[in-house]
Amino acid sequence: MKKKEPAFEERLERLQAIVNKLEAGNSSLEESVALYKEGLEHAAACRKQLEQARHEIQICTEEGLAPFSETADTAEEESKSDTQQF
Amino acid sequence: MGSVLTVRQLSEQLRGTVERSFPYVWVQGEVASVSRPPSGHVYFSLKEEECLLNCVWFRGRQKDEAFDPMTGEVWEDGPHPCLARTLEAGQTLICAGRLCLYASRSQYQLTVDLAQAAGKGLWHQQFEALKRRLFDEGLFAQEHKRPIPQNPVRVAVVTAPKGAAIRDFIRISNERGTGAQIRIFPTLVQGDEAPPLIAEALRHAALPSGDGWLPEVIVLIRGGGSVQDLWAFNDERVARAVFDSPVPVLTGIGHEIDLSITDLAADFSAATPSHTAQMLWTERSHLLRRLTAIEDNLLQAMDHALERCSTQAERLVHTLKLLSPSMRLQEKASALDNAVRRMDAVLNASLSLNAQAIERLTLSLAHSSSRPERLAPELNAMTHRLWRAGESLFSEKEKQAERAAAPLASLGRHIGSTQERRAAELAARLLGLDPFEPLKRGYAFVQSKNGAFLRSVLQIHSGNAIDVRMGDGVVHALVESVENKQ
Repeated sequence: MKKKEPAFEERLERLQAIVNKLEAGNSSLEESVALYKEGLEHAAACRKQLEQARHEIQICTEEGLAPFSETADTAEEESKSDTQQF
Repeated sequence: MGSVLTVRQLSEQLRGTVERSFPYVWVQGEVASVSRPPSGHVYFSLKEEECLLNCVWFRGRQKDEAFDPMTGEVWEDGPHPCLARTLEAGQTLICAGRLCLYASRSQYQLTVDLAQAAGKGLWHQQFEALKRRLFDEGLFAQEHKRPIPQNPVRVAVVTAPKGAAIRDFIRISNERGTGAQIRIFPTLVQGDEAPPLIAEALRHAALPSGDGWLPEVIVLIRGGGSVQDLWAFNDERVARAVFDSPVPVLTGIGHEIDLSITDLAADFSAATPSHTAQMLWTERSHLLRRLTAIEDNLLQAMDHALERCSTQAERLVHTLKLLSPSMRLQEKASALDNAVRRMDAVLNASLSLNAQAIERLTLSLAHSSSRPERLAPELNAMTHRLWRAGESLFSEKEKQAERAAAPLASLGRHIGSTQERRAAELAARLLGLDPFEPLKRGYAFVQSKNGAFLRSVLQIHSGNAIDVRMGDGVVHALVESVENKQ
């Protein structure tokens, strides 16, 4: 399992916490600027995460994991042509 | 009255109502007529007294049974032929299936999924029996339900890799979440072999993979189908595998009207495969809106923070200026100026006040000194008038006095003469009253020596000296005797 960067939700929560702290108004200028910078980073990262969000879909076969691709052949459960005929 | 319905509208509403109300029914009746056209479908009707229900058993639904679909028990005498082939009039059957309306013919009929000879181990009875048993065992108990994680990043999906279910699931997932690892554990999902395979796939999915991967949730899905298609999910082995899973299991089997025993045993049962994906992840557009809102708040909060800091800095600079020595000097100087100004002002005010008073006095003085000159003629005139008035008053009074005096004088004179006469009269009368007058006519007074007039003989005793006054003198006599004549 590869080491992942913080999950979107975690970042969003951190971002919200930063906003709350800034809004509370008892941080020094340096602290505020640092918080703002951190907030911007989180926001940018969140945005990037959203833009690039793709599920990684794999299938477990007897040979091991393989990327999953949806094949067109999905007739298994669609045996309803008889029904339509009636 | 409501609006008029068209035939199509009425048909559609009827179809909706019937299919919703009887998504799946068990019906018992006697087979009345059987027809087997070359298509392989079987048409028959079930009847009970006057009532008749048309049924169709499509070829695709006619399956031989290798084992009891309820219990999974293999028929020891080999696969049972499908009842569709041996069906004949007069049999009493229990059929399971869906009611369908045919608007083109104004008909409805039962589309049969399962059929069993009545009294020969009824599927629905077995279904109910299994449900009861597992319920009593606590497999459906709420206390065993685990929460389904929200926005999971590791998800195992147990399903058929080529089914409609996985397609729907992936389609919905792609609009949601922020990127998760989804691993599909393929299995058969219908048919006699399905139950043990599903159970095995569930167990496999809950085990850590070679790379240590462990799902946060297992999704067990299967697309819609007939009751028979979904029957594998009424299998005890599947239900137990779901219940025993160390990882929470979310099911989405068939359509929302289908509720299998596996659904009951799951931690949560979604309506459909698509619904499981909806339950797991938040829509990406919603996440973007949330992010944008928080970003806006961040900018605003920073603006405020900067404003606050700059205000604070300004205040400090201002305070510093106030506290500087030159500022203090300036302050003192200005205080001094102030004091001087105020002193001047007070002085000026009082001076001007005095000046005003003086001016006022002067003015009134000037005014008053000018009066004698202005009044003199008037005074003269008045004096003159007074004088004249006095004079005329005086002469008037004199005349009045004179006028009054005239009668007074005459009255006086009158009174005077009257009194004169009266005086003469009185004098005459007075003369008549003179005690000495009678003496001239012979009368005499008798007096004692001490001058007292004696009026009675009782006052005189013999031997007393008495005086007898007569007109021309007095006789001093001695009383010889007294004779009382009374």
